[in-house]
Amino acid sequence: MTTLCVTVTPVVDIMAEVSLIDALTMALAWELEHDSSVVVLGEDVGVNGGVFRATAGLQSRFGSDRVQDTPLAEGMIAGVSIGLAAQGMRPVAEIQFMGFIYPTVDQIVNHASRLRNRTRGRLSCPMVLRAPYGGGIHAPEHHSESTEAMFAHMPGLRVVIPSSPARAYGLLLAAIRDPDPVVFLEPKRVYRLNKQNVEDNGKALPLDVCYILRQGTDVTVVTWGAMTFETLKAADQLAKNGVSCEVIDLATISPIDYETVLESVEKTGRLVIAHEAARTCGVGAEIAAIVAEKGMYDLHGPIRRITGYDVVMPLFRREMDYMPSVSKITDTIRAALDD
Amino acid sequence: METIADFEIQYSQFLNPEGKPSTDVPALAKDVDKLLDMYRHMTETRVFDTKAVNLQRTGKLGTYASCLGHEATHIGLAAAMQEEDVLAPSYREYGAMFYRGVSMAEILLYWGGDERGSDFAGPRNDFPFCVPIATQCLHAAGAAMAFQLRNEARCAVSVNGDGGTSEGAFYEAMNIAGARKLPVVFMVVNNKWAISLPIEMQTATQTLAQKAVAAGIPGIQVDGNDVIAVRHWVERALARARKGEGATLVEAVTYRLSDHTTADDASRYRKKDEVEAAWEFEPLIRLRQYLNDLGVWDERKEAALLEESAAKVDAAVQTYLNTPKPTVESMFDYMYRELPEFLEEQRDHAVRYGNSGGGHHG
Amino acid sequence: MTTFNLPDLGEGLPEAEIVAWHVAEGDSIKTDDPLVSVETAKAVVEVPSPYSGIISKLHAAAGDIVATGAPLVEFADAEDGAVAEPVAVSENAATVVGNMPTGSEVVEDNAIAGGSRRRRQGRIKATPSVRTEAKRLGVDLAEVPATGKNGQITAADLRRYRSSASRAKLARPATIAARSETLRGPRRAMAQSMAAHRDEVALCTLFDDADINEWLNKRDFTARILRATAAGCAAEPGLNGFFNAESMSRQTEARVDIAMAVDTEDGLIVPVVRNVAEMSLEQIRDAVAAVKQATLDRSIAPQDMLNYTITVSNFGMLAGRYATPLMVPPTVAILGTGKLQHDVVAVMGGIEVHRRIPLSLSFDHRCVTGGEAARFLAAVINDLEKPQ
Repeated sequence: MTTLCVTVTPVVDIMAEVSLIDALTMALAWELEHDSSVVVLGEDVGVNGGVFRATAGLQSRFGSDRVQDTPLAEGMIAGVSIGLAAQGMRPVAEIQFMGFIYPTVDQIVNHASRLRNRTRGRLSCPMVLRAPYGGGIHAPEHHSESTEAMFAHMPGLRVVIPSSPARAYGLLLAAIRDPDPVVFLEPKRVYRLNKQNVEDNGKALPLDVCYILRQGTDVTVVTWGAMTFETLKAADQLAKNGVSCEVIDLATISPIDYETVLESVEKTGRLVIAHEAARTCGVGAEIAAIVAEKGMYDLHGPIRRITGYDVVMPLFRREMDYMPSVSKITDTIRAALDD
Repeated sequence: METIADFEIQYSQFLNPEGKPSTDVPALAKDVDKLLDMYRHMTETRVFDTKAVNLQRTGKLGTYASCLGHEATHIGLAAAMQEEDVLAPSYREYGAMFYRGVSMAEILLYWGGDERGSDFAGPRNDFPFCVPIATQCLHAAGAAMAFQLRNEARCAVSVNGDGGTSEGAFYEAMNIAGARKLPVVFMVVNNKWAISLPIEMQTATQTLAQKAVAAGIPGIQVDGNDVIAVRHWVERALARARKGEGATLVEAVTYRLSDHTTADDASRYRKKDEVEAAWEFEPLIRLRQYLNDLGVWDERKEAALLEESAAKVDAAVQTYLNTPKPTVESMFDYMYRELPEFLEEQRDHAVRYGNSGGGHHG
Repeated sequence: MTTFNLPDLGEGLPEAEIVAWHVAEGDSIKTDDPLVSVETAKAVVEVPSPYSGIISKLHAAAGDIVATGAPLVEFADAEDGAVAEPVAVSENAATVVGNMPTGSEVVEDNAIAGGSRRRRQGRIKATPSVRTEAKRLGVDLAEVPATGKNGQITAADLRRYRSSASRAKLARPATIAARSETLRGPRRAMAQSMAAHRDEVALCTLFDDADINEWLNKRDFTARILRATAAGCAAEPGLNGFFNAESMSRQTEARVDIAMAVDTEDGLIVPVVRNVAEMSLEQIRDAVAAVKQATLDRSIAPQDMLNYTITVSNFGMLAGRYATPLMVPPTVAILGTGKLQHDVVAVMGGIEVHRRIPLSLSFDHRCVTGGEAARFLAAVINDLEKPQ
């Protein structure tokens, strides 16, 4: 098998004010430039630059072999990615919306997550499957899914969800460089919500680690994706009433960095988990179980979750009622402090 | 109305069931070394297959999918491939895998419930067995794309059955292969039965080869019991692909002489006389006859080959039976390249409760 | 007057430039008639009129850049009005669906990756149920000794703490208003802790006497008893410590902290003299005096009555030679001293009258053997019988 040389071109580091979606484009461009085994593929990712413009400009820069517009077949996108990855490439495949990710599940669960184990490490699957996920953009049916728990349940996969431009940049680089498959879910509601100064220096952020967004002493609030915004707003509001929240962005949904959460709960004694996805068997349930098992003697009261309801995400006229709002989160935190 | 597109499917057979060559046999049919090489592999595979079924029936092997009757399709296919090509099999193509360097013991380990059977010592880049039907076709397409992107003169080959041609993945793979002119050959082994569903109920198409038309790639049908035809046409398809001319579908028509697997009882759904009739067409007979007629084979050589094969198979069986169980911790050690922290506790737990290493098969 | 703001033209684009107005101020317009052409980052978009009415004001001129959501045009007497939520006005060949909030605010975030990954020591560990119970009882968990396997304060620890602490409560006894009196304060605590003792402890008592005839100094009684107790602990540390029945474990202490049962008019209190093994007789004497003073003037604090390793009870002030005193679990021993008497004793074939202290050593036979108790008592007697 041919070994590919990874060229490292000296690049002038650019510090840019970028939105989350732009940060993704930056990361993809960096890796396409520096690793010739990286291939971007998906529907409308090439000429059109992706329906959210995540891959804008990449095809004209890197050519239509490395940034491919594929036929319309999600299972095919996943299966071809596995074939590419098993034979030495690093595919970064895009599924246009998480609502369309389900045909990939056969390939991702039956093959991507198992190839290394099945062959005792002889073959492996260093691929990334990207998809915009989550609600709140007034989109039609199926365009607001938040079913990360499904993938988090599968051994052999990583599930990563960035919540800021800087973390989108660093975590996507890490995901592409990871030797194992990563499902990379992007909270589309915050694709362009704000900007951050992100240095285009090719530095990856660590996977398998939580990010503490706000330090506090009274209650630990674990969240991820777009919910970090509502949670931080809730924390700000509560701070005015003298409540000090520690807000943790899970970032890597699987495998979970329990140690950071447990250490925080040890300090605060209280845990609230906020996620957009439906309640039952959501990732919050796993976090609650682990903290109940390993942090029971630090808890002052029950662990609480504020989540989406166990219903199909309503069409957009009611979608904001489905999702945890700032007031739902502040009320849950207050209830936890009352226990 | 005017016809704006139509299609044509060609059929090829060079050796008839009695072993008599047709008028237009290719040079391959005169290449005694190649023919003997293929015949030996086919015989060896059959001896292995018989033994494997017996192992299952005596409780020494788990469920096993017999390849009885498929020897020509499998060996013809593999003999046409280059070493640097990549095979994406389903779960029955032992002849092809042996030809490419997978060991008999490895196959037995797989069906014996040990992942080490898929850690091929020989063809390091070939895909392992693929149980979800036809999903391997997409892996072959992806592999072919990798070769294309890297400008390597390598091809990918997937093998699936008649049942697999109904799966979405099969169409999706052919479609992308056509759209991007991928260097891949889709081998469809039509053995007439998908467990209990006969080909007539599987699809309305007259041939499986014509499914290629839907993807805009050429498809041909060959007699799958004629190893010369199989090898010849796969060689052509691979040459085409290697030249950058794109993918081909090769349908090899044969018959599943065995049950679907050892867990299946085909007598529940197909008639004995149909199976008996199919035996007339099986591949070893006709090649043996042809070699006899060429004067390069005889009963003494046959007996010697059978003995050699039996010895080889027995040695493999011994290796397999003497392989101790994998360690308990091995179920953790290949999930990721590095064991994530959270799995360490579980691994320790499993090790504490399990036994490491000891104990033979079973 | 109805204001029409520049709608989100899809893809969350933040702004658009006015290319050309198709109306002027004062014109009347019908719904869906062309209103204005604007250019976004991607394309020129025709914006139709959302209302019928008269154009009363244009908020921007051709060439101006208008932010999404900013006022574009005013309608007088607009009809066919309200659009409930902003919906993308034009598909714009944009394949994104819906409406994405856009902002250009630049934010900092100073996320810390992974925390310090070090678990703190010295935090109070207890389940929520124990914490709730402690709160209900008004107990500060910081005061409660923890015996749980994971360093946590168990429910039993809380119970034990409470029964020993409440023995120290200086509650005034209730006036007797009727024939029956509800037990309160130390008396109530006594009822509870004695019941607990009966249910748990395997009580065994060893009786003996110490002959103090040779004492040079006839006072210092308490200090001598305490020193002798420490001597017993030195000889048999197994009686100086705790027994945990739940975990079937015992914990012997090197330090000797002796609780002295003191009867006051407000009930029995049990102050602790600490680290007796390290003290000289003078120091013990001073410590005892200090404790007695604090007891009398009620300056004794709750923590002065906790965390003792063995108890001494001078029950025989007025009467009673021997008794079976009860220790408080988790401690495993209590030494009782009875009424000092002059006894007739046999001495080398003759008779003399010596002062003797009757001793009653109760121990928890679940974890202390008879032999250990005997050796302990022998060491106590040995020390007590020294002249000084």
